Amino acid sequence: MTADLSVPLLLAFALLGAAALAAPLLARRRTLAGVVNLALVAAAAVLLFLVGYGSLFGPAGHASATLSLGPVTIPLVLDGLAGLFLGIVALIGLASALYSIRYLERFPGRSLRSYYACFPLFLLGMAGVLVVDDFGLGFTLAWQLMTVPAFFLVRFEREAKETVRAARNFLIFMELAWLLVVLGPLAVPGCRFGDALPVLAGKLGQAGGAPLALFFGLLLAGFGLKAGVFPLGQLWLPGAYSVAPSPVSALLSSAMSKTGVYGLIRAFLFMAPAGNPAFDARTWGLVVAAVGAATLLIGTIQAMKQSDAKRLLAYSSIGQIGYIVLAIGVALALALPAGPAVSVLAAAAVIGALYHALNHAIFKGMLFLTGGNILYATGTKDLNKLGGLIGLMPVTAAIAGLGSLAIAGMPATSGFGSKWLIIASSVLAGDSGFVLVVFGVIALFTSAVTLACYVKFFGMAFTSVGSEWNVGRPVQEAPASMLVPMIALTAICLVQGLFPALSVGLVRAALERSEGFLLAGALGSPAVPVPSRALGLGLPGLGGPVSSAAAAPLVVLLLVGLGLALGALLRRAGGSKEVSAPTWLCGYQDLSNANRYTDRGMFAGLRALFKFAGGKSGK
Amino acid sequence: MSIAAVFVNVLVFLLLAPLFDGVLRKTTARVQTRQGPPIVQPYYDLFKLLGKERINSARNWAFKLAPPAAFASILAVVALIPFGGKVNALGGRVDAVTVIYLLTLGGVSVLLGALASRNTFAAIGASREMVTMVMIEPILAMTLILGAARSRSLGLGAAVFGAAGPGYGAAAAVMLVVYLLALQAFVAKQPFDIAEAEIEVLEGPFIEYSGPDYGLFRYAMMMKQMFYAWLFVAVFLPFLRTGHYLGDILTQLLGTLAVFILIAVVGSTNPRLRIDQAVKIYAVLILIALGAVGLAVAGV
Repeated sequence: MTADLSVPLLLAFALLGAAALAAPLLARRRTLAGVVNLALVAAAAVLLFLVGYGSLFGPAGHASATLSLGPVTIPLVLDGLAGLFLGIVALIGLASALYSIRYLERFPGRSLRSYYACFPLFLLGMAGVLVVDDFGLGFTLAWQLMTVPAFFLVRFEREAKETVRAARNFLIFMELAWLLVVLGPLAVPGCRFGDALPVLAGKLGQAGGAPLALFFGLLLAGFGLKAGVFPLGQLWLPGAYSVAPSPVSALLSSAMSKTGVYGLIRAFLFMAPAGNPAFDARTWGLVVAAVGAATLLIGTIQAMKQSDAKRLLAYSSIGQIGYIVLAIGVALALALPAGPAVSVLAAAAVIGALYHALNHAIFKGMLFLTGGNILYATGTKDLNKLGGLIGLMPVTAAIAGLGSLAIAGMPATSGFGSKWLIIASSVLAGDSGFVLVVFGVIALFTSAVTLACYVKFFGMAFTSVGSEWNVGRPVQEAPASMLVPMIALTAICLVQGLFPALSVGLVRAALERSEGFLLAGALGSPAVPVPSRALGLGLPGLGGPVSSAAAAPLVVLLLVGLGLALGALLRRAGGSKEVSAPTWLCGYQDLSNANRYTDRGMFAGLRALFKFAGGKSGK
Repeated sequence: MSIAAVFVNVLVFLLLAPLFDGVLRKTTARVQTRQGPPIVQPYYDLFKLLGKERINSARNWAFKLAPPAAFASILAVVALIPFGGKVNALGGRVDAVTVIYLLTLGGVSVLLGALASRNTFAAIGASREMVTMVMIEPILAMTLILGAARSRSLGLGAAVFGAAGPGYGAAAAVMLVVYLLALQAFVAKQPFDIAEAEIEVLEGPFIEYSGPDYGLFRYAMMMKQMFYAWLFVAVFLPFLRTGHYLGDILTQLLGTLAVFILIAVVGSTNPRLRIDQAVKIYAVLILIALGAVGLAVAGV
């Protein structure tokens, strides 16, 4: 079993390594280099999917292995959790590789050698971070293989000062994150650099209070820095995500930030020593949940203030990661339960966290690629200069609209299911702490703010007016090879939204096939969420036989569909005719660049209220 | 069969929402010592709008999609609610979080149409509408969470009827006051009719809409108002419950009528606030509501 999975894994690594050698050699023939990169990345992605599938659904077995590099051996883990995240990396990597081919036409004079050398190495590094099972040498190698190529990718447009500064910050803070994580185990007595994580977890079980606090504090800071939690994410994330070429931005936000989430889950939900009286799971859970709540609120409010499309998306990534971190914290706080009802909520929260991680990978990928299409077609990402693209780029607009609805968590889209699990589990945890209810309310409130962000993003870029005066070139829809990966992601997003039981099943498989999961007992109990209710989701009753919460996207879709049909019927019922007329501004003036509505006035009342949150749309 | 209750919900709301709007207009007129239109005037308005021409200044699909989408969202909400005191077949498959988000979806449709219409006034109105939505959604949410916290379930029946029953606690009393203060904002009436503000931004989001498109928006607004008035009755007036389905429908409708009269009186005697003033009021209301939920969790 072990050998079965590590062979395709190492083969995938070899293919990515080969891509890093082969494509740069062909860099002069730009399209050919892109196609070779795509072909090798695609082959590696297929193998990674096989590994992921095998670890999730293959015959069960001990899912660890070792990799020998000369004198050193690196422990690897290929369990369900790693498999799930490998799937994300492979999917987004594949989409991004296809998207890159035409997108790089934006930079006609520039050599693509470094881009095509770094792109597969970056994927290799991310996959490596997911499968290494130590915080020592293997982790260091993988982390550097992820960070250094990513640095060069972020720095791709290096003539702009802003880009160089953002890339530098990225490198500094990612190295700091590495240092924090590697120092973590050294704080625990008896642990050495390079101990495999199960060994480490065993030693944590006997450690005292101070080393434990130091260990988990360092890991929270290190992986939190990577994932972009408040206030650490603000230091590097918005800059790096917004200046990188768009396919790279999609990889950074959809895949790379998930390595931080993955680390947090490994640390807090796998290594947490439940039996050790010196470890207070509840307090740690509340700390992590508080960090998550602050992150989601502040990141999203800052996103609302941005006028640069990609900075808006970047800040909103911080906000969405906040939801995941909140859910991890809620799960940990409820992990050592007062009763079966509470462990149901804990399991629901952790399922929500992973479900949201999957969803975020997909819809943020869609949205960043949408940002790329806008940049490709218009040459600008300034929302104040855009507007009215809906007629010129209809496919991109439709994808952006769906992505926006999904990230705002509108019913029947994918974001709804995962946010529902997170909000319901924190709100219903009232008995175990009022503060969790407050976090749930903050999460609900932030959903509305997220919506405001994306009303702004979609409204100012695609509807309203502006591009006809401010974009000095004809605007066309993006080429097919850029739209295809986006359409594929959109299709996945729709399935995730309409059939939440599928995603939840995937997540459950991942957790059930991972050894050492803190809530394994809760997950095993028959009461746990949740694929139930005709393709919907339900949480079993906490106070009685009636289910205490439920979501059924298909019911919502049916009702809204019938309502739409009735609305359309009413519209025709009176035999009214459609006529065309210019926009009416009270008859004094025609609509022009001088009297349109720009970013400055948008949501002014809210911005004034949330002045304390900072995040001016500075350059 | 409780699937029939879904149709009852939809029919009652479709048929009576304009009537309540008529009551609102009549009462407002009387408070201002005017004669006012007949109570059935909103029906005439809707019929007339259905036959008038649709002026399309935007020429994109979002502009056309918005009115039926707003109508469909609120229709989905009223189909799911436990009207008449019992949870219906579809309402039992979803929960309070779904209803909160569906109401938001209705608001989004208005914003989408406003921004798609390319009109500057509409954009101003959309911005204000969005700000209002962000700030009052938590109040609605916490009204339902209060019931959910007391009955430990987010199911629609538990969330709606759990706040004030069994036993009227301090938490419900505080939330009742908050809801009453937010009511004008829920139904977009003065002093919180900031987004539409006819004499200021010319109906804001709806400025470019005409004919049946505008009619659908108006119809959706009327149903939304009726929903919020009904919700007040269902959550905070448990003594109106008779235990019979039809009896409950009747008492809830009578209660809704009373709430509409209240809305009209408050609306016709209070001048409009500015958005920045309103936002501060909402912020205070959110904090008080959070306190009420805290009381409920503590079991007071």
